[in-house]
Amino acid sequence: MPTIQDIHEDIEPWLAAAVHDQLSEGERAQFQEHLADCESCRRLHQEELTMSQMISSALEETKPDIAFEQRIVSAFHRKVPNRTGFSMLLSNLFRNRATQLTAVAALLLGLVQLGRMVTGEDATGPTPRLTLHRDLLTSAANESDDVRDEVRRPPSTVRSDVSGAVVNARAAKAKTDPAKTHSTNAAVGSAGVAKSAPEATQSFAAANSGAASTDAAAAPELVEEEPVTSEMMSGHDQPEPGTARAPAPEANRKLVRNARVELEIIKFDDAVQKIVAFAAEDRGYVATSSSQKQANGKLHGEVVAKVLPENLDRFLLKLRGLGELKNQTLGTEDVTKQYFDTDSRLKNAHVMEQRLIDILKTKSTKVADLLEVEKELGRVRASIEEMQGALKYMDAQVQFATVTITLAEKDMDEPAAFLLKRRARLALFSTDVEKTFAEVKGVLESAKAQLSSSTLDRDSSGEATAQLVLLIVPEEADALIERIKGMGRVQNYTEQTDRVAQGGTGMAQGAKVERDKVQLSITISRNEQEPALQTTSLRILTSAVADNAARLKENAAKSGAEIRSSSFSRDPDGQEIANITLRVAMKNYAVLLSSFNQLGKVKDVSVQREDRRGVVNEETAPADISIQVYSQPDIVSDEKGLVATIRRTLMQGFSALMWSLRMIGVATAFLAPWAIAFGVAVWVLRRIFRARAATRMKNDNAE
Amino acid sequence: MDSTDRDIYKAAIRGDRDAFELIIRASSRNLFAIAYGVLQDRAEAEDVVQDAFVKAWKSRWRVRDPEKFPAWLATIARHRARDVARTRRSVPLGQELSDTPDPANAVGDDGDNVHGQVHAALAALPETHRIALTLRYFDALDYDTIQRTLGLTNGALRGILGRALQTMRKRMQPALNALE
Repeated sequence: MPTIQDIHEDIEPWLAAAVHDQLSEGERAQFQEHLADCESCRRLHQEELTMSQMISSALEETKPDIAFEQRIVSAFHRKVPNRTGFSMLLSNLFRNRATQLTAVAALLLGLVQLGRMVTGEDATGPTPRLTLHRDLLTSAANESDDVRDEVRRPPSTVRSDVSGAVVNARAAKAKTDPAKTHSTNAAVGSAGVAKSAPEATQSFAAANSGAASTDAAAAPELVEEEPVTSEMMSGHDQPEPGTARAPAPEANRKLVRNARVELEIIKFDDAVQKIVAFAAEDRGYVATSSSQKQANGKLHGEVVAKVLPENLDRFLLKLRGLGELKNQTLGTEDVTKQYFDTDSRLKNAHVMEQRLIDILKTKSTKVADLLEVEKELGRVRASIEEMQGALKYMDAQVQFATVTITLAEKDMDEPAAFLLKRRARLALFSTDVEKTFAEVKGVLESAKAQLSSSTLDRDSSGEATAQLVLLIVPEEADALIERIKGMGRVQNYTEQTDRVAQGGTGMAQGAKVERDKVQLSITISRNEQEPALQTTSLRILTSAVADNAARLKENAAKSGAEIRSSSFSRDPDGQEIANITLRVAMKNYAVLLSSFNQLGKVKDVSVQREDRRGVVNEETAPADISIQVYSQPDIVSDEKGLVATIRRTLMQGFSALMWSLRMIGVATAFLAPWAIAFGVAVWVLRRIFRARAATRMKNDNAE
Repeated sequence: MDSTDRDIYKAAIRGDRDAFELIIRASSRNLFAIAYGVLQDRAEAEDVVQDAFVKAWKSRWRVRDPEKFPAWLATIARHRARDVARTRRSVPLGQELSDTPDPANAVGDDGDNVHGQVHAALAALPETHRIALTLRYFDALDYDTIQRTLGLTNGALRGILGRALQTMRKRMQPALNALE
């Protein structure tokens, strides 16, 4: 409660509130009390009233008019058009914090998914492995019965494929009954076309229910089914009701079993007979048999046997007794799904057929429609037959296991005969190629030989080369070759004899050996093409290259050497080089070599001698000399000296500058995106801070 | 603030245009008073009020507390008006002042002349004082509403109005004397 003194000292707010009539009851009383006492305050109050009235009347004219609100509202309508429901909903939604978070999360997820797609990583996780595992289990169940037989066998003889091996491990647990499966198959089979699919399915259902019940309960069911089986089997063989009757929880599986065996046997016919017998024992039969005789008298062929699946393993074991087992593969195909798919489609087709027949019977509509129905009926019936055929085929496949036996008699690859092929190759040097060529041809006429091909080449310089290929009767070959050898100097002679087996490989004791005609290839070439006995290379350093090269050639001519090639070149740096190749007889070699010392400084002499087998005339044998006559290059090059050095330095500096520019470009390319991202982040942060500061300021104002 | 008002503000924040229109109708005069208090120009003040509402509508979702909606509106209008005033101030300050007659020298009981003196005296007041006066005199608002709109306490508002009127009295002393 303010005292009178307080009011006096702080009169202005009191005056204003009093004039504005905003004092509370108590305050007004206090104020009036003070005014009554205080003369100055009373005067101020009077002034304040006048002032207030003046302000009021002055501001009266600046007040907004009556239509002001309406103007503001319509301006608002104009500036903020009413949005349609959906976009408003969307924009409102995105102002919701939860929606924003969800959107960000979805965006991140999308990015992750995109990344996965781009990198090709498997996004589905461990599912495929699971299915694989399941497949394995199924196949384990499928093959369990054959494994049961396999277990009985000594492990060393088990040669089954990989899936078989996997099955081995689970053999003890899994139980199936092929006999059961086959009995139901038989039911379907005997039903044939006359029996409709629903009925067949019913019989399956019966089998299923039987299988589902306990083992003890399943036994009578099996007995019930037995007559069908035996009735079915009697066509092929005597029934063996006791075989492989194990209780089966999975009797309704459709498994196609087949095996492929490769055997090496002593006698083909015996083996085929035995196979027929084995097949009969196991209630099977031989479907096809084929054989083929080879040039060496051995037989090979293929026998396709059909046996009951439960007897397959015993049958295979018996087959091994026939001969050496080369290869064996066992396969099982599960056609259960396919079978029942076809079965249910067949059922649908039957229903369809019945409906079409009904339409034909009852609805006597237009002829065109009836024709349509007839056509459709035909199509449905065709597909029914097709499916029934497929089912029958599958039944047949399931009912019998197919064993394909490839038989081959021992020593199948033994050759029937051998052929001795002798090939000789002779190279001759002759002073006159053409003469020798004619001589060789002359010899052929007298001998028992024939010319297979002959060529005589003459190149632009008049050099001749002759080539002949002869076929000589084996008995006369040696004599003839000796005669031809005498016609020139023999460069080399090679001979090769091949033993070619006919109709097989390897050795055969009884095979006969024949000798083929001897093939002789002769090459006749001139002496000059004879390789040098000794090759020398050297360099001569001189100041006057051209002159000395000319003198060298003169010397060579004097000592009877032949200049084979000669060249002269001048480099831009002033170096002159002359290359000369000579061929000289060995007897003049030393003299010629010593004459080079007069021409200049002889350097880098290398001598290579090739001694050949046989008699070589040391005096006349050719020696090759290759000489390089050369001068020193000019000592000062263009690329030396101060200017060149400066130029090079400048050029290197320039290229370094360019390189650094390029590097700056690369660095910019690396950094620019990050700089931009950083800038954006800073900008956003500053916006946020500014907004916070504004809010705080507002709050401060409010206080 | 009663619950009806709060509901209306809430609806407006959620995007209810009708509610926002109600708010426009209810508070446009207050905002005009504030804008006029800053600018002292009717046309400009009206523009400011229009702009302020558009801006408020667009950023309405920033207001989390409906209680603060009126104060927030006032802040927007005040800032907007200050922006306008800032752009206007390219005209030299002295020139503008010299246009208005000096109240001290103006003598006479002619109504227009007195009004001119009042306006000039108002122009010389600090912005907050002027806004408090315009809010009070345009619509005779009670102190409670003014406090809420400007975000002030009762004592602060009383002090502001008292000082404002005191300054006005001093400036208008010749005119007051002439009246007596």
